[in-house]
Amino acid sequence: MEQKLIAIVAAALGVPASTLRLETAPGDVEAWDSLGHINVISEVEAGFGVRIPIEKIAEIHSIRDFLPYLGGQG
Amino acid sequence: MRCALLSNVNVESVARRIGRHQVHVAQGYGAWRQELADPGSGTWKFGAAAVFLVLDGAELLRGQPGLDAALAGLDEHLASIERAARELPQVRFFVSTIDVPAHTPRSLKEDHLQRRLEEHWNAGVSRVSADRKNVYVVDLKALVEETGRAQFYSSKRWYLGGLRFSIAGEKLLAAEIERILDAQVSARKKCLLLDLDNTLWGGVIGEDGLEGIQLSETGEGARYKDFQRRIQRLRQMGVILGVVSKNNEADALEVFASHQHMVLKKEDFALLKIDWSPKPQSIAEAAQALDIGLDSIVFVDDNPVEREAIRTALPEVAVPEFPADTSELCAFLDRIYQEHFFTLETTEEDRGRTEAYLANARRAEERTAAGSIDEFLAALRTKISLGRVGDEDVPRAAQLTQKTNQFNLTTRRYSEQQVRALLATPGVAMFIASVSDKYGDNGKVLLGIVRKLSADIADLDTFLMSCRVMGRFIEDQVLDHLVRELRAEGIRKLRVRFVPTRKNDPARAFVERLTGGQLLDKDDTGAILWEFDIAQASPVAKPPYAELLTRGES
Repeated sequence: MEQKLIAIVAAALGVPASTLRLETAPGDVEAWDSLGHINVISEVEAGFGVRIPIEKIAEIHSIRDFLPYLGGQG
Repeated sequence: MRCALLSNVNVESVARRIGRHQVHVAQGYGAWRQELADPGSGTWKFGAAAVFLVLDGAELLRGQPGLDAALAGLDEHLASIERAARELPQVRFFVSTIDVPAHTPRSLKEDHLQRRLEEHWNAGVSRVSADRKNVYVVDLKALVEETGRAQFYSSKRWYLGGLRFSIAGEKLLAAEIERILDAQVSARKKCLLLDLDNTLWGGVIGEDGLEGIQLSETGEGARYKDFQRRIQRLRQMGVILGVVSKNNEADALEVFASHQHMVLKKEDFALLKIDWSPKPQSIAEAAQALDIGLDSIVFVDDNPVEREAIRTALPEVAVPEFPADTSELCAFLDRIYQEHFFTLETTEEDRGRTEAYLANARRAEERTAAGSIDEFLAALRTKISLGRVGDEDVPRAAQLTQKTNQFNLTTRRYSEQQVRALLATPGVAMFIASVSDKYGDNGKVLLGIVRKLSADIADLDTFLMSCRVMGRFIEDQVLDHLVRELRAEGIRKLRVRFVPTRKNDPARAFVERLTGGQLLDKDDTGAILWEFDIAQASPVAKPPYAELLTRGES
């Protein structure tokens, strides 16, 4: 599941998956700007078929922070 | 190419999905109109050749107090688009239709205002497009309808970043924009070759017989009739149709002649190759008979073995997968259109294309029948009408540079914008010729561009001719005429360049039969530059035979 998550984030940002780790944060990747952040959220939602409530989006500071929402799927 | 994307919502993320082209973005409430109206704005400084206006219906109506005010607001927007299109005729404007989702609960007795606003705008955009040839309609509303609003929009993205469309919506929109941009810089395919049994009708004519094949107005057989209707539409848009089928010719022709539900008639096809030869051979022969490249052909066949045979033997031919479920035939053809034959507009030449190729086939028959080539040429009663490229010729001139591969000395591709720029360049002269004969009018088929390098030296930048009229020494006669005109203007030397490609051997044959040239340069790609002394003599040895008329200069 973690690999799939990293692959989805990498595709959303247009960077190689090998450059990302679970700890990678928006500030670490140039393409991960505010627009990139919205695209990452949408792609994670679509890729895992889940919804991340808008209230919780401010709490996402790294790739790892998506894990609680993925509901053991993937 | 360079394009601008203007919108009343945030489309930065859409722009990032558009590859292969440079995109300038201007977005936000009111910003798109300012950008359109202001000649000093980023859009025009960027040098956009195409401007996309993607308008979100809901946002367009924000803050409008009532229906009348909203309609008046839409009219103002339309007027500003029309004004920009009038002032910048060299720029193409692609204006979206709008989709207006209901934004408040509505009882069943209330007027459906959204529908009225959509209709008003969409009719207005169509009207502007009909009036202005540089305005095109991009049907955003249709994209939303096909996808469904729940999938196309995303409220989360809207509240987070002013992004109206979902990821899926953005991808569809970006693909649509890319396809429109690609169509302006690359050539589309020319010819659709079709199998017959289980492709144009259900069943096998040789086994099931005329009454047994599936083809009808309603019911199961209607899927083939609807498929044929769409193919007919492609023909009207300038796609050359051909049949490549393993069948007894008499059986197959009987279906064309006698089946009441055949939409496609024998005359709709420029070529019917119905016999038992292997299909790779038939398709190679078809390409030769039609004088088109293999990479201009799309082949449709329900039989996977035949498809594989073509893919292996003739990898340049496009061979789409045939749908396993033939209720999807119409969607299949729509995809073929989008991928291979998409075009911004249909020209007069496009509409008459099959007729032109049919006439060509008859000429070829006559050539076989005629005793000698000279007798054949004389019997054609060819007329060449030569003139300077005028404003109305620009789309055709650009199209000729984009599409002509075989008789093309330099294969320089020019967009309409570049053709206009050339027309405005001092010392550049552009000639276009149409050719007719006793079988009909071939339209404008020959283009020459001459650049003056100095007071007495000129360079033949472009000399090309559609393959429809090849083999008739029309190019010889036109060049001979151009040489006389140049001589009258004081030009003493003409430089002629030949740049070899995989396809332009006919152009090589032409330059090789010119006489008296002095070799100036030859590089390792095989490109050759000659200089001809035209003060006294003409490089053309072939005596003229056709009637050549010059049109008055515009």
